[in-house]
Amino acid sequence: MAPPDDLAFASVVELGRLLRQKKTSATELATYFLDRLERTGSRYNAVVTVTRERALAEAAQADRESRQGKWRGPLHGIPYGVKDLLATKGYPTSWGAAPYQQQKFDEDATVVQRLGAAGGVLVAKLAMVELAGGMGYNQPNASFTGPGKTPWNPGYWSGGSSSGPGAAVAAGLVPFAIGSETSGSILTPAAYCGVTGLRPTYGLVSRHGAMALAWTMDKLGPLGRTAEDCAIVLAIIAGKDPKDPSSVARGFSVPPPPAGSGGQGVRMRIGIPKGADKDIQPEVAANFRQALKVLEDRVELVEDIELPDLPYGAVAGMIIAAEGASAFDDLLKDGRLSQLTAPEDRTGGYPALAVSAPDYLRALRVRRPMQRALDDFLKKFDALAVPTRATVASPLDKAFRDGWPGITGGANVIGPTNVVGVPGVSVPNGFGVQGLPTGLSFTTRAFDEAKLVTLGRLYQSRTDWHTRRPSVT
Amino acid sequence: MDGISRRAFAGQLALAVAAPYFLEGVPTPAAKPQAPQQQEPSALAKALAQTISVRYPERFSADDLAAITRSIDNRLRQIERLYQTQITNADEPDFVYSVYRGAD
Repeated sequence: MAPPDDLAFASVVELGRLLRQKKTSATELATYFLDRLERTGSRYNAVVTVTRERALAEAAQADRESRQGKWRGPLHGIPYGVKDLLATKGYPTSWGAAPYQQQKFDEDATVVQRLGAAGGVLVAKLAMVELAGGMGYNQPNASFTGPGKTPWNPGYWSGGSSSGPGAAVAAGLVPFAIGSETSGSILTPAAYCGVTGLRPTYGLVSRHGAMALAWTMDKLGPLGRTAEDCAIVLAIIAGKDPKDPSSVARGFSVPPPPAGSGGQGVRMRIGIPKGADKDIQPEVAANFRQALKVLEDRVELVEDIELPDLPYGAVAGMIIAAEGASAFDDLLKDGRLSQLTAPEDRTGGYPALAVSAPDYLRALRVRRPMQRALDDFLKKFDALAVPTRATVASPLDKAFRDGWPGITGGANVIGPTNVVGVPGVSVPNGFGVQGLPTGLSFTTRAFDEAKLVTLGRLYQSRTDWHTRRPSVT
Repeated sequence: MDGISRRAFAGQLALAVAAPYFLEGVPTPAAKPQAPQQQEPSALAKALAQTISVRYPERFSADDLAAITRSIDNRLRQIERLYQTQITNADEPDFVYSVYRGAD
C-alpha cells in the first residue's frame, strides 16, 4: 500500500492505477478515507454523515468483481463524497438546513446511482450552505454544521454553497466530490479550497434526486484534484435521464490528451473580460497574469472584451427568487425558515412572495435573447478567462461585504454564465494573502466542456498548484 | 416604482462583486443597507411588504419587516431593467409546456 499521505492526495487516475495493479483494494481505500473523514472532517465542518456501512458494502462488491476480472471503469473502487443535497437511500439528506436534518429519501439521486454503477464508493454526505444559499445568506456561518473552513487556513471560509465538497477534497478526505451550482457554488469553493471544480452545462447532468433551488438554473458537477479527474467523473454522470426532463442526451467524453504540452498544437483564442484583474486583490491579479503567461504559447489572448450589456443580475434574481420561494413554499408557509442558522436566511425567502407572475415570466422571456446574445459572443472565443474570485476566501467571523473591504473590481462572469447555463471550470493557480489559494476560471459555450478540460489539463501539466497540500494533521 | 440609474446599477454590481457567494450580480434579500439601498423604500415596496405581514401576522419583528421591505425595494429596482430589454409578443418564456397522454 502507498504511504498514507500519498493516498489522501492521490488523483482518481493514480488511485485507479493502484487498484488495477493490486497495490491496494477498494476496501482498504474506503477504510482509509472513512477513518480520515471521521478523524478530520469536523475540523473543517466539512462532513454531515459518514456512510461507513454503505461504503464498505460497495467496496467489498468492487473487490469481489475485480478479483473476478470485472472492471467497471475508471471509478471502480474509488471513494467519493456528495454534497448533502443529493438523495441517498438509507441516510439522511439534510440540505444543510436544520429543518431537514432527519429527512430521508427511499432512492438514490440519479448521479449517485450512476457513480455507484460505475463502481464508485460513497463514503460521505458533505456539508453545504443551508438550502444552497437560496435564502440569501451573507456570512460564512449559514449551515447547521457550522461555517465551512478551508483547510489552507481554518480561520477562513471554504466557499459556498458546496462548502463540504471543496474542503473535503482539499483536505484529502475524499478523492473527488459532487457539488451543485446555481450561481457560483462549485467554482467558488474550488477557488477558496485550491481544488479543481467543473460546472457542467445546464441539463448535461440529471438533477433528479437533488434538492431544487431554481429548477432552471441548478447544475451538478464534480470537484476534484485535477481537470482530468473532473472530466472522468463528468463522463460517468452526464447523460439523459427520463426522471429529469431538462436533461439532455449529448453525454460527455473525456477529450484526448493535448497534442503535447510543449508548445505544439492549435492555439486557443481566449477572451479576457474588461476589468477582469482591475481593483481586485493584487495577489489574485498577479496569479491570474502569471497563469496566462504559463499558457502564452498555446493561447491567443484578446483583452478587454465586453459581454453584451443585458440584465443578467435582474434575470437571475427574479428566477431564483420565484423558483426558490416555490421550491421551499412549505418552509415559508409553516414558518420553519426561523430554524435556519443565518439570521438573514430566516427572513430571506419572504420578499420573493412579492414577485409577480408576469415579472417572473418576463425574466424567462428575456433569458431567451440573452442566451442567443451570449452564445453569439462566446462563439468568438474558445473560452473566457477570469480570476475565479476577486479575493481569497473570506474570514469566518465577518459578513462577506466586510471581509475584504475596498475590493470592488473584477469582471462578473459567474453570474451571466450561470443565468444562461453555460459551463465553467476553476483550477488552482497560486496563493494570496494568509496562505489562501486563488483560482483561474475558464468559461465557454454550452456543451463545450471538452475545451475547458483541455485548458485545465494543459495548465496543470505545466504547474503544480493542484498538487500542493494543506497541512492536515 | 422608482427607476434605477446606470450609476446605481453599477453600484449594485460592485456590491455584488464584494459579496456575491451565492448570486453574482443579485442583491441578497436581507442585505444590510448600502449606498444604492439607503434611499427610503418606495411606497410600492412598503405596500408589498405589508401584504406579507398581513399574510403571516405576528411572524416578523420590526427589523425583519424593514429587511423584507428593503429587499423588495431592491428587487423592484432590478425589475426596471427587465423591462428595458426589448422583446416582442412572440418571445416566449424559455420553457416549453408538453401535453401529457398516459398509456391506453
